[in-house]
Amino acid sequence: MNRGLIEKALREVWLTTLVFGAGLAGFEILLTLILPDLFSQSASMLQLKIVKTFLRALMGTQIGDMLGPEMVLSLAWVHPVVLALVWGHAITLGSRLPAGEIESGTIDVLLSWPLSRPRIYLAHALVGLAAGTVVLLMALTASLSAGRFVEPAFRTAPDMLGRIFVNLWCLYAAVGGVTSWIAAMSSHRSRAVGVAFGLLLASFLLNFLVQFWPPAEKIAFLSILTYYRPLQILQAGAWPLGDLLVLLGLAVIGSLAGALVFARRSICTT
Amino acid sequence: MSVIEIERLTKRYGRRLGIDNLTLRVDAGELFGFLGPNGSGKTTAIRVLMGLLRADAGGARVAGYDCWKAGHRVKAEVGYLPGDLRLYPWLTCTAALRIAGRARRRDLRRPGLELAELFDLEPTVRAGQMSRGMRQKLGLILALAHRPRVLILDEPAAALDPLVQETLFGVLRERAQAGDTVFFSSHTLSEVERLCDRVAILRAGRLMADETLAALRSRAGRTVTILWRRDSDPGTIAPPPVLRVHQREGHRWRATLTGPATAFARWSVGQPIEDLSIGQADLNRLFQQYYSHPERNP
Repeated sequence: MNRGLIEKALREVWLTTLVFGAGLAGFEILLTLILPDLFSQSASMLQLKIVKTFLRALMGTQIGDMLGPEMVLSLAWVHPVVLALVWGHAITLGSRLPAGEIESGTIDVLLSWPLSRPRIYLAHALVGLAAGTVVLLMALTASLSAGRFVEPAFRTAPDMLGRIFVNLWCLYAAVGGVTSWIAAMSSHRSRAVGVAFGLLLASFLLNFLVQFWPPAEKIAFLSILTYYRPLQILQAGAWPLGDLLVLLGLAVIGSLAGALVFARRSICTT
Repeated sequence: MSVIEIERLTKRYGRRLGIDNLTLRVDAGELFGFLGPNGSGKTTAIRVLMGLLRADAGGARVAGYDCWKAGHRVKAEVGYLPGDLRLYPWLTCTAALRIAGRARRRDLRRPGLELAELFDLEPTVRAGQMSRGMRQKLGLILALAHRPRVLILDEPAAALDPLVQETLFGVLRERAQAGDTVFFSSHTLSEVERLCDRVAILRAGRLMADETLAALRSRAGRTVTILWRRDSDPGTIAPPPVLRVHQREGHRWRATLTGPATAFARWSVGQPIEDLSIGQADLNRLFQQYYSHPERNP
């Protein structure tokens, strides 16, 4: 791996990573601390059918009568703000090369170095994954630390939290991989970000729709959130291997396709 | 031996033609000027050489490597300055030399800082706070610091003050004398005239001329100004075949000498001339003809 490329890529992502990481960590602390109280105070309201349906839509799975601590704990990892921050970071970093570099005009300097395009792409992808890991680790640490201040019933066991972390990391990698594929085809970062965001929004809404409208279940596999179910992890206590493989597959396919497109395309900056 | 070889290169942007069937060779140690008006295809040709654009037909090689298939090998031999240089806003000269040095696997700090001193560039200022001229200097330092065999510079003198331009041209002349090849694009004739041995002129993606400056000068003709005596009547004087008169203002003629000076001198002996000046070859006029009439070779 070329040290110059790594240094350049790190120099570009560290601040964004710190900002997103701090935001996510702060929000995890907030959720970990307030959700148990909210749950205790609103127990009767949570039995309402409409509330259950909304929670089911958010969790992406049947919750039945399981309105217990697991649901509260998993809510901290599927909250729209949490997903928005994780996806926002993945999209921000995934859209840098080449779309961001072409848009800013810096691609000429980057491509004047004697390094093949796949190598440049790989270095940026690895730095992106490392930065994503840092963001998620900050959230994980925050959640574990805040968990000390709540009742034991509302503390997530570290091994369960580890499984959710791995699932979320795979989700991050999949979003990053697909975004980098889109960015490889585009010369405008804003356009790449828009397309990636649009796909994720559609995915999120499809996941929501499936919970309200049973016929949509046939296409539920198209939603990326089908493969990220923290509540199921907490309920079953097992590794969601199938989901992890699907997300990793998306990450690998997106990244390879992006590398291939980037290696073969003409770069026009005007 | 040709260091840069462009062979029947064609590049289209959709329906618009960028480069049309361009063939060009540049030898080692040459100072080669690539001239053309804005939008003539200079930058497109350079981007093909740098492996940024893929040719639709034909191809290009630098130092024996195919520019598209072995772009990273080409870049190991080339120092490149883009026409519209953009730098990362956080980049300082020092950081740029460290990062580019690591990317090229050699220490560029010493040669780079020497160039920074030569070009009078403060090495710790961030690109985001630099003027356009300062950014251009940093771009030149990055192109020159690794001592490449080939320099491909797209309008390098743009945004530089005359003193720095002269310094740059001095460096480029030294590099060419040492056997390095300089491929220098510009739309300004005077820059190319000051530096280059050979010039190619591009117009609407087509090669209009590829000649040494000496050959172009001999074809361009020299400017002649004749001041007739007050008691003469210039209206009755017929110019010789070697003299093309552009302007007749009373007793002053402005003309171009298109043939041997001896023939003109013989004719002038018997004429009522008060004063006469023969200037440098008028390349400007020749280039304007190339620029404005693509279908006509002067």
